[in-house]
Amino acid sequence: MTRILSVLLAAAVSLCILFPAASPGARDVAGELRKERGRLLEMKEREEKTTRELTEALRKEKLSKGRVGELQERLKRQRSLLSRIDRDVSTLNVRLERAEKAVRELEAAHGQARTGLHRAEVVAFVGQRAGAGDPWYPSARERERHFMRVYLAADAEGVARITRARERKEEERYGLERQVAVTERKMAREKKVGDTLLSRQEKERQRLADIGREKKRKVKELKSLRAKIARMESVVSRVERQVKERERRARKAAPGGSAARGPAEAPRRFASLSGGLSAPLAGKVVTRFGRQHDTTFDVTIENRGVEIEAPSGASVKSIGRGEVAFAGAVSGFGNVLIVQHGGGLFSVYGRMETFLVKQGEAVKKGTVVGRLQGSPSGKSVLYLELRAGGTAIDPTSVIPLDS
Amino acid sequence: MSERPSLWWIDWRLSRGPLVQETIGRFLFFCLLGFALLSLLLSGGVSRILADRYAITAMLRAEVPSSEAEGLARKAAALPPVRSATYRDPEAAWEEFLRAYPGLGPVRGAGENPLPGYIEIRIRPDRLTGADVDLVVSSLRSVPLIEHVLAGEVWLPRLLRAGRLASRACWGIFGAFLACFFLVGRLQERARAVALAGDFSFLAERGVPSGRLAFFRAAGAAVSGFLLAAAGTAAGGGALFLFLRMFPFLEGVVGPPSDLLLPRTVAAAALFSCGAALLSAAASVLGWRAARPGRK
Repeated sequence: MTRILSVLLAAAVSLCILFPAASPGARDVAGELRKERGRLLEMKEREEKTTRELTEALRKEKLSKGRVGELQERLKRQRSLLSRIDRDVSTLNVRLERAEKAVRELEAAHGQARTGLHRAEVVAFVGQRAGAGDPWYPSARERERHFMRVYLAADAEGVARITRARERKEEERYGLERQVAVTERKMAREKKVGDTLLSRQEKERQRLADIGREKKRKVKELKSLRAKIARMESVVSRVERQVKERERRARKAAPGGSAARGPAEAPRRFASLSGGLSAPLAGKVVTRFGRQHDTTFDVTIENRGVEIEAPSGASVKSIGRGEVAFAGAVSGFGNVLIVQHGGGLFSVYGRMETFLVKQGEAVKKGTVVGRLQGSPSGKSVLYLELRAGGTAIDPTSVIPLDS
Repeated sequence: MSERPSLWWIDWRLSRGPLVQETIGRFLFFCLLGFALLSLLLSGGVSRILADRYAITAMLRAEVPSSEAEGLARKAAALPPVRSATYRDPEAAWEEFLRAYPGLGPVRGAGENPLPGYIEIRIRPDRLTGADVDLVVSSLRSVPLIEHVLAGEVWLPRLLRAGRLASRACWGIFGAFLACFFLVGRLQERARAVALAGDFSFLAERGVPSGRLAFFRAAGAAVSGFLLAAAGTAAGGGALFLFLRMFPFLEGVVGPPSDLLLPRTVAAAALFSCGAALLSAAASVLGWRAARPGRK
């Protein structure tokens, strides 16, 4: 949109330059043109400002969307982590319950075993007291005492085994409890992180909504401006037609009317320009002529020229013979040079840094007219527009350019 | 030529009635002594009781299978001092243990049996000595299948000493009975000599030397004593045989009745009869001398 407006502005400016005072009768028209040009410039400035704001809003929106996406991704990861921790906690709790059950069972078994051992000790004591010094069956008593020792040792070993098993289970239970506590703390920490992320995401969403509202407002404003500019363009075209009509009438009224006939008689074609045409510089066309869809703004733009990418500071040459009609700064296009080739043919060179020719100076094909701007990336872009009879034509159709 | 009268059985011819009573009494006494003698011979005093009560227990390791344990028991039974060796498996050991400690049944519940199997080794009564027990124990301890040997090392010496004392006491009592027999016999001989003093004086006046008279009297007493002891021992042996048949549990104390017919038992009975003959003769001589005039 900026480019469209810039082209229109350039056209308007060039018209003003080319026809400063075509005839005394056209002074009111020129005044109207100046007036319209002032309004057009004002509208252009507003449009540029709106475009910048919209660009800024879009940049913010993009950043915000990126942050929201990043936050969503982090939240997703956080939720996944939390659910994994939750599963871990559940698993640990199940294991803990099992361990506690095992400990309870072992405690019960331990109690039974100890009771059994105590009872056996009592039985052994009573039995051995009763059979102590029995001279009648001494060997049998000795064997029974030995059996009792074996029995008590086995019982004591059983009690010790259960005790060891219980201690191991209790250690396992303590370990699981500690693990559960650590995991729960971790879960609480991660929940807090998740809450923070959620809060940040909510804020970011609100910011995104604000940006969206601002963007809508700016787009609406831009549409309104575009409509005004379109109307302005129609006005300029009408004025241009009036200028031509006046010139035609003036030539008819003149005695040697045929003397003035020449290049301005009828719109010539660039292909028939004497001396031929050449590329302004060696480079690659990065922006094509005509309707192009801009993905950044998501709008369709009508390009009136092409943009050629070339090394920064490259020399810009005239595409053909002619005269410098305008050399000055134009907002949105930097330094703009317009060469009049006669017969309603103009070539416009934008985004230049310096001019090497002056207004009114004649140039030939290949004359260096200026240099491109410098850039940290080492690449700069030249805006090239060709107009024939007030209509922009595709430069690539008449000049061999690398696309 | 005057025929000299025989002095054999002079007392029987002079005092038949009292002598019948004495003979019956001595027979009954010899029955009692024969019974006691054969009992002591068969039982070895208290050796058989001790041998029946004493046993060496070889505790097997837990993993020893029954077949190997039974083979080991057979090998142990082949040792010279061993009377019998019996293998008892862990179940039998457990049942025996529960019989000894009945309170443990409900305590143990369905728990695993912790007791191992064992071999019970019994020693012959005549080989129940410290040396023979040590021989058997050392043989058993060298077997890897055996984990522990219970031989009562602490109390066995005391038991054997007590057994020896008890045996001596039994034989002492038996000897005392023999002494009583001798003293009673002497008193009877003396009393009879006093009672027949007139008859003996008459014979002396007729030229019968008193020494010859005493000799024949002693010889008669010896013969009758031998016969009475042999008969009494045989009767006592018969009674013991019947007694052991009637009360088999006494075999554990006395011994099997078949041992009564062992040659050593018979020889001991014959020796006892000879001893009884000698004692009878000695009692007759001493009784004769005690009855001589001038002596009380």
